[in-house]
Amino acid sequence: MSWFASTALVVIAGVIVEIWLPGRPAYHAGWYNVALTALAIVVIVNGRRQWKAARSSRSRLAIVAIAFGAAATGVAGVASGLFAPDDRDVVGAPGERVRVEDVGTLSFPLPSQDRSGQVVVTLDRPLHAPLEIGAHARNAGSFILRAVPRDVVDVEVRDLLGNRLTVTQPSGSVFLSPVLLMQARQTIAGMNVPFDSFNVPAARRVVKAILFTPAEAAVLLHDPGVPGPERSQRAAVLFAVDDENDRPLPHAIVLSAGGAAVRAAGLLLRADVTSYPEIAVIWAPNIAVVAVGTLLVLAGLGVLGVRRTPRTH
Amino acid sequence: MHRYIIWPAVALALAIAVYVAEPYFVTQRAAGGPSGLAGQRAPIFDLRDDRGRAVSLQQYRGSLVVMNLWASWCPPCRAEMPDLQRLAEAEAGRRIAVVGVNEGESPRRARAFADSLGIRFPVWIDGAQQYGRTYNALGLPTTVILDRQGVVIRAFDGPLTLDEMRAAVAAVRAR
Repeated sequence: MSWFASTALVVIAGVIVEIWLPGRPAYHAGWYNVALTALAIVVIVNGRRQWKAARSSRSRLAIVAIAFGAAATGVAGVASGLFAPDDRDVVGAPGERVRVEDVGTLSFPLPSQDRSGQVVVTLDRPLHAPLEIGAHARNAGSFILRAVPRDVVDVEVRDLLGNRLTVTQPSGSVFLSPVLLMQARQTIAGMNVPFDSFNVPAARRVVKAILFTPAEAAVLLHDPGVPGPERSQRAAVLFAVDDENDRPLPHAIVLSAGGAAVRAAGLLLRADVTSYPEIAVIWAPNIAVVAVGTLLVLAGLGVLGVRRTPRTH
Repeated sequence: MHRYIIWPAVALALAIAVYVAEPYFVTQRAAGGPSGLAGQRAPIFDLRDDRGRAVSLQQYRGSLVVMNLWASWCPPCRAEMPDLQRLAEAEAGRRIAVVGVNEGESPRRARAFADSLGIRFPVWIDGAQQYGRTYNALGLPTTVILDRQGVVIRAFDGPLTLDEMRAAVAAVRAR
């Protein structure tokens, strides 16, 4: 295989790997993109020499196809590596629509909208069909979307008579959501744990919620009445209830595990720890350009290969 | 032969470069709040009303719907409710439905609140706060107007006066 063909294939491979194994920091590194650019230039320079040496118009066309395909693919790779925004994780509450710059609008479904228990987040973009992101990563052209499960806490609050009360999150992304996304973190007793808060306006209470993993909860609970395996499988939520001016109240710190309702400062609080996806947005070379470029290179190599095969009679 | 291939190739290369780079330089307008749903079909959830009957937006297909999200602890909601009742009475028989959707409270609390204000339009109970979430309500009250096909036409954050409600309904009806 000639130097010209080899470098073209290396360019293609260097860009395809960005789609095949997305999200690696190396793709945005200067050395990677300089190398891709240099290889693409080598392909074009060699292509020019090959062009001059070619004897037939079909060979010349094949050489142009290879050079053009490798260059276009290289441009797609370098554009993604140098100009694409940083990869990001988009967190949304169930029911929320999140507009993401350069990406579109992600619709996070409510549990009742799920199909067969699978939470499917939908991406809406102008001039594109809706793209559903479920268990598998989806390529949306210039970026890849992947659902990553994370723990969220669904809270229910009642007064002592059992009347359900509205939960609001004035500092959350959705004001009227009883689902805590637990995006902040706090260190307690040496454990760095997820943290969130919500308001109960009808009772004039502010509630802080701290999520402990099953392992952390097992340490905290120390409940001899609960069998060991069960105890170690339950996540727990620590509630701390303050008044509306953030002043602590007596008997207002309680631990809820396994979805049990607990009583604190005149409220009945219940927490269900569930899994809900966040969406990882990973920028990658434009798949359409890479596909066309790869096909051009392969077609060109095919034509040159056929031309060089000696005829037998 | 040379120029017939090279120049189209250069033009195509430039077009591809623009196509590839364009997504990285176009930013979308950020928008929040209930007005972000304007022009889209309203989500439909199966709820219960304050008397326990099954209700859905589906039953109002063919009518304009003024949907008001509220809660009993919300002072502006209390102030706005009588005007909603007046609107419901003024528009009775004109294929307009006024619906109050209580966000996150018990039927008993919602019913007591509505009775104390003499509210007679339908009161639905959205215990899981589904409408509040999907309409991206910034606060309460939030009012959303749907056309006869169930598409969100306008959405308002905060309380409306009776005149503002009438003007909004007239604008939607005139479309």
